[in-house]
Amino acid sequence: MSTGHRRKTLVRLLVNGEEHTLAVPVQRTLLEALRYELGLTGSKQGCDKGDCGACTVLARPRDGSGRGEPILSCITLAQDAQELALTTIEGLAGPQGLDPVQRAFADCGALQCGFCQPGMMLSARALLDQCPRPTLPQIQEALSGNLCRCTGYTKIYEAVEVAAGLREPASRPPVSSERAAASDQVAHVPKEIAP
Amino acid sequence: MTHPVHRPGHVGARFPKVDGAGKADGSGVYADDIRLPRMLHAKILRSPHANARIRGIDVTLAASYPGVVATLVGAEMPAKYGVIPWTHDEQALATDHARFVGDEVACVAAVDERTADEALRLIRVDYEPMPALLTVEDALAHPEIKVNERAKVGNVTKHVELEFGPVDDAVARAAAVCHQVYEYAGSTHAPIEPHCAVARVDGDGNLTVWSSTQIPHYVQRELSRVLGLPQSKVRVIQPLLGGAFGGKSDPFSLEFCVAKLAMKTGRPVKILFTREEVFYAHRGRHPMRMDVKVALDGDGRISAVDNKIHIDGGAYASFGLVTAYYAGQLLTGPYRFGTYRFDSTRVYTNKPPCGPKRGHGSVQPRFAFEVALDEAAEQLGIDPIEVRRRNFIGENVETVNGQRITSNGFLKCLELVEEASRWTERHGKLGPGRGLGVAGSMYISGTAYPVYPNEMPQSGVLLKLDRSGRVTVYSGASDIGQGVNTLLCQICAEEMGCDPRDVTVVAADTDLTPVDLGAYSSRVTFMVGLAAREACEKLADKLRAAVAAKLGCAPADVRLELGTAAGPQGTMSFAEACQLAEAAEGATLASTGGYRTKKLGGDYRGGTIGASPAYSFTAHVAEVEVDEETGIWTVRKLWAAHDCGKALNPTLVEGQIEGSVYMGAAEAQMEEMIYDRSGLLFGPSLLDYRIPTSLDTPEIDARIVESDDPNGPYGAKEAGEGPLHPAIPAIANAIHDACGIRIRQLPFYPQRILQLLRERDARRAGSERVA
Amino acid sequence: MMTLPAVDVLRPRSVAEAVAQLAAHPGARLLAGGTDIVPNLKYGMYDTQHLVALRGLSRELRYVRVEEPEGEIRLGALCTIDELARDATVQARLPALAEACAQIAGPQLRRMGTLGGNLCLDTRCVYVNQTYFWRSALGFCLKKDGTACHVVAGGQRCVAAASNDTAPVLLALGASARTVSPRGERVLPLEEFYLADGVHNTVLAPDELLVEVRVPGQAASLRQAFHKLRMRAAIDFPALNLAVALGVTEGAVRSVRLCVGALAARPALVKGLDDLVGRPADRRLADELGRRAHKQCRPLTNIGVDPGWRREVLPVLVRRTVLRALAV
Repeated sequence: MSTGHRRKTLVRLLVNGEEHTLAVPVQRTLLEALRYELGLTGSKQGCDKGDCGACTVLARPRDGSGRGEPILSCITLAQDAQELALTTIEGLAGPQGLDPVQRAFADCGALQCGFCQPGMMLSARALLDQCPRPTLPQIQEALSGNLCRCTGYTKIYEAVEVAAGLREPASRPPVSSERAAASDQVAHVPKEIAP
Repeated sequence: MTHPVHRPGHVGARFPKVDGAGKADGSGVYADDIRLPRMLHAKILRSPHANARIRGIDVTLAASYPGVVATLVGAEMPAKYGVIPWTHDEQALATDHARFVGDEVACVAAVDERTADEALRLIRVDYEPMPALLTVEDALAHPEIKVNERAKVGNVTKHVELEFGPVDDAVARAAAVCHQVYEYAGSTHAPIEPHCAVARVDGDGNLTVWSSTQIPHYVQRELSRVLGLPQSKVRVIQPLLGGAFGGKSDPFSLEFCVAKLAMKTGRPVKILFTREEVFYAHRGRHPMRMDVKVALDGDGRISAVDNKIHIDGGAYASFGLVTAYYAGQLLTGPYRFGTYRFDSTRVYTNKPPCGPKRGHGSVQPRFAFEVALDEAAEQLGIDPIEVRRRNFIGENVETVNGQRITSNGFLKCLELVEEASRWTERHGKLGPGRGLGVAGSMYISGTAYPVYPNEMPQSGVLLKLDRSGRVTVYSGASDIGQGVNTLLCQICAEEMGCDPRDVTVVAADTDLTPVDLGAYSSRVTFMVGLAAREACEKLADKLRAAVAAKLGCAPADVRLELGTAAGPQGTMSFAEACQLAEAAEGATLASTGGYRTKKLGGDYRGGTIGASPAYSFTAHVAEVEVDEETGIWTVRKLWAAHDCGKALNPTLVEGQIEGSVYMGAAEAQMEEMIYDRSGLLFGPSLLDYRIPTSLDTPEIDARIVESDDPNGPYGAKEAGEGPLHPAIPAIANAIHDACGIRIRQLPFYPQRILQLLRERDARRAGSERVA
Repeated sequence: MMTLPAVDVLRPRSVAEAVAQLAAHPGARLLAGGTDIVPNLKYGMYDTQHLVALRGLSRELRYVRVEEPEGEIRLGALCTIDELARDATVQARLPALAEACAQIAGPQLRRMGTLGGNLCLDTRCVYVNQTYFWRSALGFCLKKDGTACHVVAGGQRCVAAASNDTAPVLLALGASARTVSPRGERVLPLEEFYLADGVHNTVLAPDELLVEVRVPGQAASLRQAFHKLRMRAAIDFPALNLAVALGVTEGAVRSVRLCVGALAARPALVKGLDDLVGRPADRRLADELGRRAHKQCRPLTNIGVDPGWRREVLPVLVRRTVLRALAV
C-alpha cells in the first residue's frame, strides 16, 4: 500500500484577508487546512462529509467581487480553494468587536453547546448580507443546511431577527403556580416479584 | 414547609452565557481543537461481525507500516469496566469476543490519521462468527448463545417486577380499560461534536486526558482501574463540549486507548471519532415494547396502571440496570395512581449498546402511558385535559411507589398550554386532517444516590476570593451547553454582590476542581447550585463581618450587591470588602460547599432508584396536520409549559425546553436506529440517520412555570430532560384528533399513518355496510 | 475525521485542456462542486489518482443564455445550482427547473454544486454510499468491490438510483446535452444520455466532459412542475422526484412528458402517453397520468424510504403535480 498521502503540495489560501502559503498533504481538505495548519479551529467538523454544516465558511472570488457565499470546507479540497477569498468565524468580528450576528447569538441564548454555531452564524451573516430584513421562512430556509442539536432552532431565529434589528430578545416572564394540596394518593408497600 | 426567600437580582436574570463570547468568535476550545507537540493520531479497528469469537489478532504488519508508532490490543488492558460498578462488562478493546458490528478490537497510533487508517487494514483478526441475536425475542429464545457473559440468566441484563397495590383487582373493577401494545424505536443523541480524546503522560507518570465527556469523575475512576494507575495520577479535563444529551456519559474506548498509547509511546495521542464511530459508540434511546393497561374508574380516576416492558439493550449494560428501573419508577406522576405494576426486562442483543438519552428510560413508557390514558378517557367521553386535571397528584405527596413529590406546578402547566392552544374552542373541532393533542410528564432533578455507593457529597464547590475582587469558582460540574457555568456566576453575584463578570469559573478538571458526579439525570443545576450557594454564603458572612467591623454596623446590616458592600453609614467597593475580609482572615479567603445526599425513596429494593430531591413537571399541546392521501404529517405548533421550580436564568431554561421539544418531536417524526439482518446499522451518517433541519422543526412556544421548590437552589428544579417527554404522546394524541387513528409505534412514519388511515377507512366502510 | 486518499488535483484553464488531462490520466475524475465526489472519495468508492478540477473553467462554462430566434435556452455546466434557482431567465422560462434546483440538498451545497455535477451525479444506494468499513462488513456489492446486489436478490445489474433533481425536469422538457472530448463535441438528447446501469449510468466516455445543456425554446411555453418527495425539507436526496411538462392548446393536450426519478439507475420517462394527446387538460388527465406512473414505476430498497409507500403515494404526487402545472 502506498504512503502517497504524505506527499505534499504548496497551496495558497486567502483567509480572513491574510494570505497563507502552506505545504499540505495533497488530499488536505480545506477544513483540515484551516483547523490543523492555520490553527483556525472555529470551523468545526461534525459529520465528515457535507451533511451537517458545522464546517461552513464564506467564500467569494479572490478579486473581491460578489458576496461571501456559505460553502462546506469539509468537502472542499484545499488545493481547489486557492481561487477563493475565505472568511471563517475568526474573521467575522471587525475592528469594532463582534459582528451583530455573533453578539445576538450570545445575547439571545442561541449558543448552547456552541459547536454548530460558527457555521450557523456564517450562514446567517450571508443571509443578512443578501437580505437585510429577512422573514422567518427566509431565515429557516437560509439555515436549513446547518444542523443544530441543542436549541430546536427557536433562539437562533430570534438571534438572526435581533441581529437584523427586527426585534428585541425574548423577555416573557415566568408564571408562578399556586400551591396545591396533596391528593388522596396512597403509597403502597410493593410486592417484589423480581427485584 | 418554608420556602426560601430570595431577593430579585442576578438569580432569575436573563444573564448571557459566560462562555458565549468564546463560542461566538470561534476561540472556544473543544477537544479536537487541542494540538500538542509531537502528538500522534490513533484509529480503532472494529469488528465487521455482530457476534464473533476472536481467536487471534496479528498486528505485526500494521506495526511495521511506515508512520506507525504503536499498536494496541485488548490483552494489554483487559480489565472490564462500565459506568455502573455492578455491571462491568466492557473492554476498551475486545480480547476474545466481539459483540456487535463496530465493537472495538485493536488500535493503531501513527503520525497522522490517514496513516493510522491505512495501517488498520493490515491488522489480521481471526474471527469465528457466531449467530447474532438482534431482537429481544431472539435474545430471550436463545439463552444458550451469550451476547455478553455478564448476564447471569440467558441474555438478561436486568429484570425488575414490582407491584404496588392489587392491580388485577382494580383492572377487574374498572369502568374503562385501555390495553394496548406500544413500540418505541431506538434513536441516538447525534451531538454535532463527535467524541474526541487526547492524552499526555508527563515525566512523573502523571496521565492527563482531555475528553469530550460529561462525566470526568467516572472517567477518572475507570481509567485508573483499567490502566492500573492510582487515581491521584489520573487527571481528566473536559474542554468545551459540543453536545452530549447522555451520549457522552459512559467511559468510552477512545479514552482508554489514547491513555494507554500515550503511556506506551511517551507522546501525546489523540483519537477523534468519525461520525460513523459515534453511531457505534451510541448509548442512545432503548427500543422498548410496552404492553400497557390503563384502567379508569367511573369518575375517570386512574385505578390501575400495568406495564410489561421489554427493553432492547444492545451489547453492553451501560446504565442499563438503571434503565430497567427508570422505565417503571418514573411514571408515577403527575397523576395519582390507585395501583401500579411494572415488569421490566432489559436484554442484551448484538447491537451497539443503548444507554441514557435525554429522558433516560422514561420517555418510552411515558409515550405509551399518555396515549393509553387518552384512549381510556375516550371510552368514558372525558376530555383529555380534563382527565389529566382530575388525576393530578398534588404537592407534598408520596407517589404510589413511595417517591416524595414536593412542589408540583403541573396544573399551571396544563392551564397555560390549554389557553395558549385555545384548546376548548379548537380540540375536536379543527376539521379533517387537523388536530390537537395533550400530554403531561414528570422527571427527576438528580438521583438520590451516586452510581457507586459512598458517603461523600455528590457535588462540591470551592470558592476563592482574591483581593482584586475577582471570584474564582472551582466546580467539577460539566457544562455541556446547558449553561451551569453561567449559573455559578449568577449565584456568586447573587450571594456576594460581586459583578458576575468578575467571576471566573474553573470547571470539570479533576486535578483542580472538587468532585461532581457528572451531567446526567438532570442533577447539575440542582446539586451544584446548592453546593455553590452554601460556599457563597460562608464567604458572604466573612465579607459582611469585615465590612461591618470597618463601618461600625451589624453584619446583618451590610448589603452585598452590584459590586459594592454597603452599610447604613457607608459604602465600599467589592474589592475593598475582599481586602478587609482577607486581612481579618489572615489567610486566603476561601470556602467550600457541598450537596449531601438525603435519604429518599421507598423502603424496598430499588426504591431509591428514581427517588429524587425534586421533580419537574411538563405539559404539552401539539397541533398537527395530516395529509390523508399520503400519510405525511407535520406539527404546526407545540406549546410546552414546564415547571422548573425557579428559572435561575429564563433564557437558558427556555433553551432547554425548546431543545427538548425539538428532540422529542424528532423522535416522533423520523429518528430510528435501523439494522440489517446481519446486525449492520443502516446508514451511520447524518445523511441517512436524519435529524431535523430548521425546516422540519415545529414552531415551539416554551412557557416557564415556577413552583418554588423547597429543596432546590432558590427553588429550582430540572429543565433539561423533562420537557422532552410529552412531545411524542402529544403528537400521537393530536394525530388521533386529526383523523381518528391511534399510532402506537415510533417513529410515526407516513407509511404507518397511511396504513392506519386505510384500516380506518375499511372499518368505516364496514360499519356503514352493517348499518 | 474520515480521511481522503492521496489524489493529485489538476487545474486546467480551458475545456480543451481539461479533456486532454482526462485522456492523459486514465481513471481521472472530474471535480466541480465536489459535493458528491469528495464524500465518495472519503468512502473509498473510487480508486482514482487524479482529479481534474473545473473551477478554472467558470468563465467558460457558467452562463445562462437564450439563443434567438428560436429561444433555445443554453445553460453552462458550471452554473451553480443556487444560481439556476435564482436566475430570472430560468424562473421565467423553465420554472420547473428553478423549482427543482431550489430543492436540491441545502443552501451551502447548492452554492457549491453545479448543473453538470447534478446531471452526472453518481447513482446512489443505501448499500454503497457508506464507509469502506461498512461496505466490508456487508460484504461489498456489485457497484464497488463486490459481486452481489443487496437490493435485488441475485441481481446482476446494479440498480443504484439516479438521485439528481435536475434530470427529470430536463428530460421532461426535452433538453439535450452538449459534450466535449478529445475527439470533438456531440449533442445528444438526455433520453440517450442515461443508461440503466447503476455502475455508470451515463454514456459519457472517461475523457468526455458535459459542457452545456440545451433546452428547446418551446419548453418555455409548456405547463411544467416538479415535485420532490423527501423525508426532510432540506439536505436529503429525493426519495422520489418527478417532473411533468405539458403542451396545452385551447384546453387540450398537445404534448405530454412525465419523468420519475429516484427509482433505479436511469430517470424514467413514463412511456406510452401519446394517446393522451388531444384529451382535455383537466383533473381526469392528472388522475390518468398518476395511474400510468403507478403502473410503470417500481421503487426499490436502494433508497432508505419504504418502497411500498413510495409507490403508493406516487399517483397522488403525480396528480397534484400535474394539477399544479395546469394551475387548475
